[in-house]
Amino acid sequence: MNESSIRSLGLKVVVAASNDENHPPENMIDGNANTFWMSTGMFPQEFIIRFAEMTNVSSVTLDSYNVKHLKVEKNTSENASHFEFVEEKELKLTEGQLQTNSISLGGSNATHLRFIITSGYDHFVAVHKIDAAASSLVV
Amino acid sequence: MVRLRARCLMVGDPAVGKSALSQMFHSDGTLFQKNYSMTTGVELLIKSVNIPESGDSVELYIIDSAGKESLVEANEKMWGVPSLLCLVFDLASERSFGSCARWMERVRTHCKGLQVPGVLVGNKCDLSARREVPTSVAQEWAQSQGLEYHETSAKEMEKCDAPLLSLARAFHALYQERREAIQNLSPG
Repeated sequence: MNESSIRSLGLKVVVAASNDENHPPENMIDGNANTFWMSTGMFPQEFIIRFAEMTNVSSVTLDSYNVKHLKVEKNTSENASHFEFVEEKELKLTEGQLQTNSISLGGSNATHLRFIITSGYDHFVAVHKIDAAASSLVV
Repeated sequence: MVRLRARCLMVGDPAVGKSALSQMFHSDGTLFQKNYSMTTGVELLIKSVNIPESGDSVELYIIDSAGKESLVEANEKMWGVPSLLCLVFDLASERSFGSCARWMERVRTHCKGLQVPGVLVGNKCDLSARREVPTSVAQEWAQSQGLEYHETSAKEMEKCDAPLLSLARAFHALYQERREAIQNLSPG
C-alpha cells in the first residue's frame, strides 16, 4: 500500500487537549483543509491519533496555523500510553496562509502517533489536516 | 460552548495585595486574610469564569508570584508564557507604583512576542487618607503600556473581582477574533 490517504488507514483521534465543539479534533482527519481543530489556550497542546492496525509510517503531513514547535511520538501498543520520541520540528510562521509541513518518521511501525505542540506563534493554534504516508501495513 | 484556558500572571511589589486579590477572587469574596503572610514561591489558583451571553467559560490559572526582589528570579522559571497579565501596586505606596515599569519589562521577556492582554490594578483604595498615587497618573501610565486600569480594595471587597473578570473577557474576545481570522484563511 503506497501513499495511503488517512481515511483508508482507518485513522481516529483518540485524545485532544482542547475541544471547541465547533472545531472538534475530527476536523483534522476529515481530509478537508477548510475545517480545523483549534486549541483553546495555553501550551503544551497535544492530540493522539490511532491507526486501525499497526502501520509502517514513512511520514506525516500537517496543515496548520501558528504552530511553532511540534514533537511527534509513537507507540506500538493497543493503548494510548508509553510513547517514544520520534521527531521534532520548528515550524515557520506563515501569516495569512496555512503552514504545510511534512515530517519524516523514517518508516516507524506505529499504532498511535502523539503530536505535542509545545509552543505557538499565538495563544491559539489550529490544525486543519493530517495525512500519513504509509509504506506498508505490518502483518 | 467553549472552555478556554488562560495563564494569568499576577505580579507587583511585595505586600501590595496580590495574594489578597487572588484569594478574594478565587473564593468569591469570602476569604480575606487579615494577617499578612508573604508569598515566597508561586501559588496557583484555578478559577472558572463564565462569559455572559456566550455559554463559554475561561478557566483562569492564576499564578500568584512572590513580589520580593530576591525571590523573583527563582520564581520566574515557573511563570511560563503568560496569556494574561495582572500588575498590582499599592495606591498608598508611590514606590510600588514606580516599580511597575520594571515589572512590565520583566514580564515582556516571557511573552515571546505574543499579545498579552493586561490590567494595572491600584489596590487598597480604602486607604484614601494615605493615598500617594493619583488616579490620573496611574491611568495615564496604564494607557501608555496598553493596560486597562482598575482601582480596588480587597479588604472592603470593592470591585476586587473586576480586573480578573475583565481579563477573562479580553481573552475570550481574543479567541473569537483569532478563530474568525483562521476561518477566513485561504488554504495553503
